[in-house]
Amino acid sequence: MSAANYNKIEFLVACASRHVRDGENVFGGTGMPLLAALLAKETHAPRAILISEAGFIDARPKNVPLSVADSRYYYGCSASIGLIETLGFILQAGNIDVGFLGAAQIDEYGNINTTYIGPFEKPKVKLPGSGGGNDIASSAKRLILMMTHEKRKFVKKLDYFTSPGHLEGPGSRKKWNMVGGGPSVVITDMCQMDFDPKTLKIRLMSVHPGITVQDVLDNVMFDLIVPKQVPTTPEPTQEQIDIMHRLDPNGVYLGKGGE
Amino acid sequence: MVRPLTTPEIEDKIIPLDEAVRKVDDGAHIFWGGFGYQRPPIAFASELVRQHKRNLTIYTCGSEVDVEIMAGAGAASRFEIAFVAIEALGLANNIRRRVVEGKVEVEDYSNLAMAMRFLGGALNVPFMPLRSLMGTDIVNKARYRGEKKLKVIDCPFTGEKICLVPSVQPDFSVVHVQRVDKKGNAQIDGIVGEDLEGSRCGKKLIVLAEELVGEEEIRYHPDQTKIPSLYVDHVVILPWASHPMQVLNYYDYDLEHLMTFHSLTRTEEGWQEYLEKYIMGVQDHYEYLDILGWEHLNKLRAKKPWGY
Repeated sequence: MSAANYNKIEFLVACASRHVRDGENVFGGTGMPLLAALLAKETHAPRAILISEAGFIDARPKNVPLSVADSRYYYGCSASIGLIETLGFILQAGNIDVGFLGAAQIDEYGNINTTYIGPFEKPKVKLPGSGGGNDIASSAKRLILMMTHEKRKFVKKLDYFTSPGHLEGPGSRKKWNMVGGGPSVVITDMCQMDFDPKTLKIRLMSVHPGITVQDVLDNVMFDLIVPKQVPTTPEPTQEQIDIMHRLDPNGVYLGKGGE
Repeated sequence: MVRPLTTPEIEDKIIPLDEAVRKVDDGAHIFWGGFGYQRPPIAFASELVRQHKRNLTIYTCGSEVDVEIMAGAGAASRFEIAFVAIEALGLANNIRRRVVEGKVEVEDYSNLAMAMRFLGGALNVPFMPLRSLMGTDIVNKARYRGEKKLKVIDCPFTGEKICLVPSVQPDFSVVHVQRVDKKGNAQIDGIVGEDLEGSRCGKKLIVLAEELVGEEEIRYHPDQTKIPSLYVDHVVILPWASHPMQVLNYYDYDLEHLMTFHSLTRTEEGWQEYLEKYIMGVQDHYEYLDILGWEHLNKLRAKKPWGY
């Protein structure tokens, strides 16, 4: 049964957690993706293994980490190694099932920019850069993108192409012998999007409660594929919300929501 | 380059921070240790600034407050990195401003690419292959390395596309660890990030440590020695060197100070205020700690068994 009250962050964490399957190796990072992975472990995916690119393997943090290298990731993990281990031996060898990434800009093939806004030669804003993002986008079997939904972020052409989605469409990941399969879903605060299997272009999957298809279309700058039937995204259950708050009792990421 | 190991006759490699930093010339290239919030050599960055170093090139995967200090104060002008931000708080404001002003140049790679560049340097081979970066602007656009940024080739053995990144053998590697003995046997608790490769790729290695321990302690837990003394040129004993970030088993991050730092750096005036108060306005790292206050610092000490 759906919860009576929830805030936006709780909704998105529950939504993302449903994309993590039992037994998968997951790069969770920090923030909402981390909470989503932990929630999945506590509910439908108890055998999911959480890995941080900094080197923590099978992490079960008691307190939510702020950094991928946070000491909070250490207590309770099964091994604490390093970057060549996680991004090399595990990821590049094809053993990460799902990775989470954010994006400042995304195009219709799910390619993402996390590096510069404005022209490369004279940037307006320097963003964080790839970090492990390009490695994860290149080699994780599946990619879940999470971002706030603003029209200026859903662009026809990226200012800078940091990490690969489906590049120019069918066949292009194969051309570069990419280990991973590319993005499978984009979760925003308006909707979920997946990718049309024929064209590998982004496609509306579901709209969140209270949002219409037109709202979404008004907030993208490319031609979004809209199927005949667009369901509403399921709401979180009270059980999911309770577990989330147990995982983040101080509201580091959840704020004061749900109280 | 064939990297000579340090001579076994040197029994005591401990020098003070200011002396270690004086060895770094203007224009030097430095591998920078630590990863994200964990074990960044922030006190070394502040001393580079106090000694008015200029035109440094910094190589690392991802750094945060230290990169902001060096870019903001003009000590470093080039960065070959994968990531800069203050995780959980937001963009790296100083780097952001300096890049727009054209005073700082960033050559963008990915984390694995940088780690492979350090591994290549440590192995003394000219390049390393990896399967990332291809098809993106990290390949198509270079800030200043031009043709020498990386290359995508057809593998001579399998014919598949593969990306080659140039190895790095910088003038110095600077790494901060939990414990060290006076010879330089350095022990790291928790993740190593890219510090194993990074500590071995530089022409000279400076190890900073939270704590000086005796050789007996090292030999009692030799598996914790992630950097044997034979690589180490200089040792600096420097408690709280990562403040306001964290060192596993020693202290937690100082979120209050970190938030002050991040909010002050939003403007040039705010950053100049921070720079004067916490870096230029103090004589050394110990005066910085005094200003923070020992009662405040003691609250950040790690609690067993959590390590933070």
